[in-house]
Amino acid sequence: MSYQTILAGQKYTFENVKEVLAKAGEHKSGDVLAGVAASSDMERVAAKEVLASMPLKDLYENPVAPYEEDEVTRMNIDGLNRTIYGQIQNMTVSDLREWLMDYATTNEDIYRISKGLTAEMVAAVCKLMTNLDLIYVSSKIRVTAHCNTTVGERGIMGTRLQPNHTTDNVEGITASLFEGLSYGCGDVLIGLNPVNDTVSSLAEVLKRFDEVKNSLEIPTQICVLGHITTQIEAVRQGAPCDMIFQSIAGSEKGNRAFGFGKETVEEALALLQVHGTAPGPNVLYFETGQGSELSSDAHWGADQVTMEARCYAFARPFHPFMVNTVVGFIGPEYLYDSKQVIRAGLEDHFMAKLSGIPMGCDCCYTNHMMADQNDIENLALLLGAAGVNYILGVPTSDDIMLNYQTNAYHDIGTIREILGLRPIPAFERWLEKMGIMENGRLTKYAGDPTIFLQKGR
Amino acid sequence: MLSSEEIARIADEITSLFEMRKTAPSNEPAQAAYHAAGRENQPAAKSEGGSILQQKEEEKKQLEQVAGSIPEADTEPDRRQPLLTDPADPDALRRMMSKTTARIGVSHAGPRLKTQTMLKLRMDHAAARDAVMMDVSEALIDRLGLLFTKTRCEDKNTYLTRPDLGRDFDDETRKLISESCKHDVDVQLIVSDGLSSSAIEANAERILPVITEGLKERGISVGTPIFVKYGRVAAQDRISELLNATIVCSLIGERPGLATAESMSAYISYKATVGMPEARRTVVSNIHKDGVPAVEAGAYIVDLLALILEKKASGVELQK
Amino acid sequence: MEQSRMLSVGIDIGTSTTSVIFSHLFVENTAGYFSVPAVRIIDKKVFYRSPVYTTPLLDASLIDGKALAKIIESEYAGAGVAFSEVQTGAVIITGESARKENARMILEEMSGFAGDFVVSTAGPDLESVIAGQGSGAQRYSEENSAVVANLDIGGGTTNIVIFDSGEIVAKGCLDIGGRQVTLSDDGQVTYVSPSAEKIAAFFHIPIEVGAYASEEALDRLCDAMSAILEEIIGIGDRSALADAVRTKGSTDLALPAGRPVRHIFFSGGVAKCIYSPEHDRHAYGDIGVILAEAIRRSRFFTTYHVVQAEETIRATVIGAGTYTTSVSGSTITYREGLFPMKNVPVLALTEREESALWNGDAAFLEEKVRWFLKQNDSTQMVLAIKGRSDPDYTDLKRLAYDLATAMDRVLDPSVPLIVIVREDIAKALGQILRQILGGRRAVIAVDEIRVEQNNFVDFGNPIMNGLVIPVVVKTLIFG
Repeated sequence: MSYQTILAGQKYTFENVKEVLAKAGEHKSGDVLAGVAASSDMERVAAKEVLASMPLKDLYENPVAPYEEDEVTRMNIDGLNRTIYGQIQNMTVSDLREWLMDYATTNEDIYRISKGLTAEMVAAVCKLMTNLDLIYVSSKIRVTAHCNTTVGERGIMGTRLQPNHTTDNVEGITASLFEGLSYGCGDVLIGLNPVNDTVSSLAEVLKRFDEVKNSLEIPTQICVLGHITTQIEAVRQGAPCDMIFQSIAGSEKGNRAFGFGKETVEEALALLQVHGTAPGPNVLYFETGQGSELSSDAHWGADQVTMEARCYAFARPFHPFMVNTVVGFIGPEYLYDSKQVIRAGLEDHFMAKLSGIPMGCDCCYTNHMMADQNDIENLALLLGAAGVNYILGVPTSDDIMLNYQTNAYHDIGTIREILGLRPIPAFERWLEKMGIMENGRLTKYAGDPTIFLQKGR
Repeated sequence: MLSSEEIARIADEITSLFEMRKTAPSNEPAQAAYHAAGRENQPAAKSEGGSILQQKEEEKKQLEQVAGSIPEADTEPDRRQPLLTDPADPDALRRMMSKTTARIGVSHAGPRLKTQTMLKLRMDHAAARDAVMMDVSEALIDRLGLLFTKTRCEDKNTYLTRPDLGRDFDDETRKLISESCKHDVDVQLIVSDGLSSSAIEANAERILPVITEGLKERGISVGTPIFVKYGRVAAQDRISELLNATIVCSLIGERPGLATAESMSAYISYKATVGMPEARRTVVSNIHKDGVPAVEAGAYIVDLLALILEKKASGVELQK
Repeated sequence: MEQSRMLSVGIDIGTSTTSVIFSHLFVENTAGYFSVPAVRIIDKKVFYRSPVYTTPLLDASLIDGKALAKIIESEYAGAGVAFSEVQTGAVIITGESARKENARMILEEMSGFAGDFVVSTAGPDLESVIAGQGSGAQRYSEENSAVVANLDIGGGTTNIVIFDSGEIVAKGCLDIGGRQVTLSDDGQVTYVSPSAEKIAAFFHIPIEVGAYASEEALDRLCDAMSAILEEIIGIGDRSALADAVRTKGSTDLALPAGRPVRHIFFSGGVAKCIYSPEHDRHAYGDIGVILAEAIRRSRFFTTYHVVQAEETIRATVIGAGTYTTSVSGSTITYREGLFPMKNVPVLALTEREESALWNGDAAFLEEKVRWFLKQNDSTQMVLAIKGRSDPDYTDLKRLAYDLATAMDRVLDPSVPLIVIVREDIAKALGQILRQILGGRRAVIAVDEIRVEQNNFVDFGNPIMNGLVIPVVVKTLIFG
């Protein structure tokens, strides 16, 4: 079914829902690369107008990947609450936007409606929102999850501590870990991206994380972000593990390119329910990022925001503890500059929260992208205001293994102080016990990684 | 820059201000001058024991520093020293810092980074940006005797946003390659800027002759080496097809990190064809002065090329 | 990830005791798939320890080779290890045993007997280092970025090594030990070593062979010995006695400037009694227990942090079995069929010589090599250089050319050209050398190994699909 509108005297025609969605998106280099972007700003606005008056039913009936051919679409459609969907199917995307914005609409209302939303609806409403719209609605929504501790509560901003190392040297990893803890980071997760995706390497790091967590009695979660199958094998062989991680995509084909499918995640979940070191129930961790489907030619001709929304549809049935977009990692061919990265970070966070996902963000950039640390500090502060569950922390912003920059350990304390946010309460009590934090503020003992070493040496 | 007379005069002034300060601690000009000399962290009482002359000398020295006349800028300061001044365990901090290149022990100014840390990050980012945006010099391309070619990208921005264009050549360039280069060789070498021209400037001259002469020693034929501007790795597939080379080996600048902007990789493919899966490439990464030195990587690549020629496979197929 | 395991033996023939251990050395390519390989020894596990035997002697100057062979044979059987299975390891002859007339012969026989690539080694300085590795002192130093001294006090000698952050910063050896004086069951003095004699004479302590020594005299002698050890580590000034009792062939231990010793490890037979006191003062018919008592009440315990060693009496044998073997860098050049190769003497160029070589001045080299071969009465040799970390190709090529030319003139045509370079450039250097020599002489170029002048090198058979060569760097100094 085609859609039409007349704008400033010119008629714009769109072949189908997929084209409307793609052209209604804010300008992204990845959509240009895919050949699906609007060819002019006027065409973009025309598409937005068409989208605004489109009933949600059209989006439900026109998933960008066919139900028969794509597992993610099936998970999305089959998992929907028919009653709730039935109540909203005739709302337009504009109605949905304004309802979300309404003073009367609460977190509980949004949670209820999210059970009737498909990824395409989530993406659609996102495309009609300005940056401040995205921040405002996001800030209403709280999505909590529990592994060892609880993430996502109001007034809390957490961190994943990412102590990466160029050779997975356990002592070097521990050094970065201690530095991060000393700045009050690591309440959501202590999580390493390994260089060597081998069972023995993963197990060695997991054991160290487990030792540190137990000996210092840190109320947090641990994970080593190898491939899901490697992590499963490590857990089978007895490695201590709170959570299993996987990078996900918004289509079955994309996930297959990552080397896994729905059944692999189910296997991981079942395994952790028996052998995991955390009580759960939320024991999975996913990462996403706009553009990853296109990079494996698994985007079904759709735009990257819509494909991103579908990642959350995939994640939702598994009730993850945490999900984050690695927003600026993919490079300028997908997100060209800081404007696009900041927009994408706000979109991803909003869409995930609207989908009921406990969402964080890796506010990051690579050195071949038109962005710098200032931009990423902006994004982190905006997301702090939007109520993001967590951001990342690495030593001084420089990730020596992934060769990109994200937030510095220092940033989290700064943003918490500016916005009056706190770490996860159990973790804050631990920080107080260690003398690092007082009344929600870092003390003069913060920043010394050697305080965690056993005394008496 | 201040003249030495000027410095001596200001030092005099500061010394007398110091004397005043002892009696009137809230004297604002003194405070300001004190800060200007970068000494706000040292209590004034500390200098009371020394003679005025000594104080004068000291202040003069510091003023000279502020004025920029010393230190001479011919040696680069060590920017890896811990900024954390009194850790609970200094030995442990030293040890921790020796175990990782991550920037730890950096201390803080309030919740933020110290100035030195922040500037060092900016410096490394600048080097990385320059590596991405600058071109490999023509002089180097000439010295190495490379055939100059360019992909379908017209400029850096096109290169960065259009990977498809960075993998192919226009008709004219295809013709140039086909007509200027030896066909049917065992190994076709390609040098490409990729995401770091600095990597090529730093390593190409060291690695190319090692590979060329190493292959010659083994009786493996080498084609006319090509330089590809705005090149993606897969540009080698097109060249492979144009020249019917058995193996193509591209030396290409890696996406720079803050640790180094000079890291180069070699991508090697056996009978590469346009559109083939990436898994068919063998990669040797991390070639730079703090990783694997270029000459050594070159000698390693010679063995690898010989092995690939013998096994008639590259990438995951070689791994088996 | 590729991994392999080497079976390693350690055999220590000491002044008073002999022991054997077996261990596994785990070797792995630690580099990712997209990187140039980086093979390292990642783990060491001792899986068998023999009892501690009394070193069998024929008489005061000869070791009983047959009895020794029997001990070793029975321990292989006890461990369930066949001689042919052993891939590496070391036989070390230490203390007074190294001074026996047949020490060299026994050592060579035992190493041949113990396995294909079991190397022989001797020399007081090396012993000191090996003991400090086996006791756990080096690892402690590394893990704690600390300055740590290990004193391995055996029957004949005390081997001393100082580590700073795991690096060896000083080593030495003194003729101080538990069997410097021996006593009969009823307390009659049966032997006084030359060094014990010197100490006794210096302090006018009445100790004579054939006479009964008073407990007070024995205490005074051992206090004096302990005091010398304290001086060596840095308590008080160094006396002339410390020099007088220095073991022949050992280095004069020079304390590192700036960072003083703060932690002490004791190993060796006497260390056992230092950590857990033995109540019978004459337990072993010597002064070992008394010396341990003297050390317990000395300033070692008041001035330093004394750390419990992981190994005491077996520190040396464990060091020999697990620390002597290292692996070369993973990008090297060699010709197959030349290994194992044993006891190759090392000519290490001085910094000045090397810088001359890089500057194109190789005139000295030919003469120096000729002299070295003559000195060592050897046809084979290793030329050791430091190298440069990221050399220019043209510089490297010129260096290779000069080196190949000089060495080619001097070396016997049948002998390979062997170069050990500290920096990671051996494959490139080796490739160029090979091109220059054009196949008329084999080239071995190995990197990331530290060697010094007067070292000897043993090369094992390549492992990990030929990526690396096991290497033992050692000394062969007999008393």
